Amino acid sequence: MSGAVHLTVDLDRCIGIGQCEMLEPEVFRLDDEDGISRVADGATLDRARAAEVVERCPSMAISIVEDSPSG
Amino acid sequence: MTTIDIATPSLYLDGIPHEGFTRIRETEGLVWHPYGESGFWAVTRHADVREVSRNPEVFSSAIGHTNLWDLEADALEIRRSLIDSDAPDHTRLRRLVSKVFTPKATRGWEDTVRRITTELVDGFVATGGGDWVEMLAAPLPIRVIMAILGVPDEDARYLVELTDHLVEGTGAGSSLPDDAYGNTTPTRLLPFNSPASHALYEYAERMRQLRLAEPADDLVTGLVRADIGGDRLSAAEYRNFFQLLVFAGNETTRTAIIHGGLAFAQQPDQWDALRGDPGLTGSAVEEVIRWASPILHMRRTASRDTVLAGTAIAAGDKVVMWYAAANRDPEVFDEPFRFDVTRSDNPHFAFGGGGPHFCLGAFLAKMEIQVLLEEMVGRGIRLEQRAEPVRLASNFVHGVESLQLGVMA
Repeated sequence: MSGAVHLTVDLDRCIGIGQCEMLEPEVFRLDDEDGISRVADGATLDRARAAEVVERCPSMAISIVEDSPSG
Repeated sequence: MTTIDIATPSLYLDGIPHEGFTRIRETEGLVWHPYGESGFWAVTRHADVREVSRNPEVFSSAIGHTNLWDLEADALEIRRSLIDSDAPDHTRLRRLVSKVFTPKATRGWEDTVRRITTELVDGFVATGGGDWVEMLAAPLPIRVIMAILGVPDEDARYLVELTDHLVEGTGAGSSLPDDAYGNTTPTRLLPFNSPASHALYEYAERMRQLRLAEPADDLVTGLVRADIGGDRLSAAEYRNFFQLLVFAGNETTRTAIIHGGLAFAQQPDQWDALRGDPGLTGSAVEEVIRWASPILHMRRTASRDTVLAGTAIAAGDKVVMWYAAANRDPEVFDEPFRFDVTRSDNPHFAFGGGGPHFCLGAFLAKMEIQVLLEEMVGRGIRLEQRAEPVRLASNFVHGVESLQLGVMA
């Protein structure tokens, strides 16, 4: 199924590479203090694109929130 | 088993032994490749490289060494950098240094990259061409990394000389006496077993002292002041990282630029395609990087018994990811042996196999190649091959020592 989904970053796994911010700068932002990725409030991605971003995170820190209200 | 050799450095004088890699990739399971007194598992398929790279708990970077040969424990410990670490050490170090290499930080260096690139391209055009390695591919990344680090331009040649000696250490062996550059450390304790590492360490330490005394707007200042919740790089971590940056930030992008120049000279239709549609620059950059595969392999070591591609691997076995082979896997790349700037789906592993050791300088490398292509397209020139490239005898870096290219209008 397609549709918009929310994403979450595992703050213990993220190592601040920035691949997510490079791919989706509107959704992910590296924090200036700790350098770790945060998801913008309420941001969503199309499920297929979300899966791609999850796949391309080198630290395997991103996942789709499966009970996304809009997904 | 048939004998296939992909490890002997002198093989690479004729280019990557792709026939051997293809035979290994097409062999069911994994191939055990003899090396020294034992051997390694040769991982050549894209999917298998990915699995190794994304399972760092099983396929460790901290055991043995990330190059083919083992290091003794004390040697490994003293030279340990980001590359030879697993979580949680890797996580901590990577977070500290990632902060200075974010996409945002990289964008801030674009003017510097363009200034240096413009100067070098103008020089190459003015002479009608010459040695693409010496005049362009080598100085571009080293001058960029020097500018970003805060090292003066006049030291660039010295640092290129030092990193060239490090690459020798992966091939036929060092041409330097052990006491070169005033080195007194046993070379087995130095990165690449090279006394040039001693010189790089000394240079790094001088820079550290300078910036501790007087901060500047540069990367060394950023590194010596990087602080996450009170945690900082130690002096040893910093010098190993400086050494890594100067090597990886120089040899790898240099190699990508060399093979990119050669590919465009040999395949003018691809250059015409890019000139006709500058919108292809992004995909051309990725294709240059896939085509070049500057780092040919990285090694992991099994931390426990496991299974990969249906093959049983014992704890302690060497598992070697051959990125150069994965980047030609027909399961993933349509016509993998074709250089194609329009290739849109290009999940190459030239920056690593998709795991946490993903190249720290990936965004910088891509920007350098992008700016170079833009500046060359903007001048309406094309490259022409004048001689066969003189390749390096290394199974680690896809190196070229010289490449004569001409410039045509």
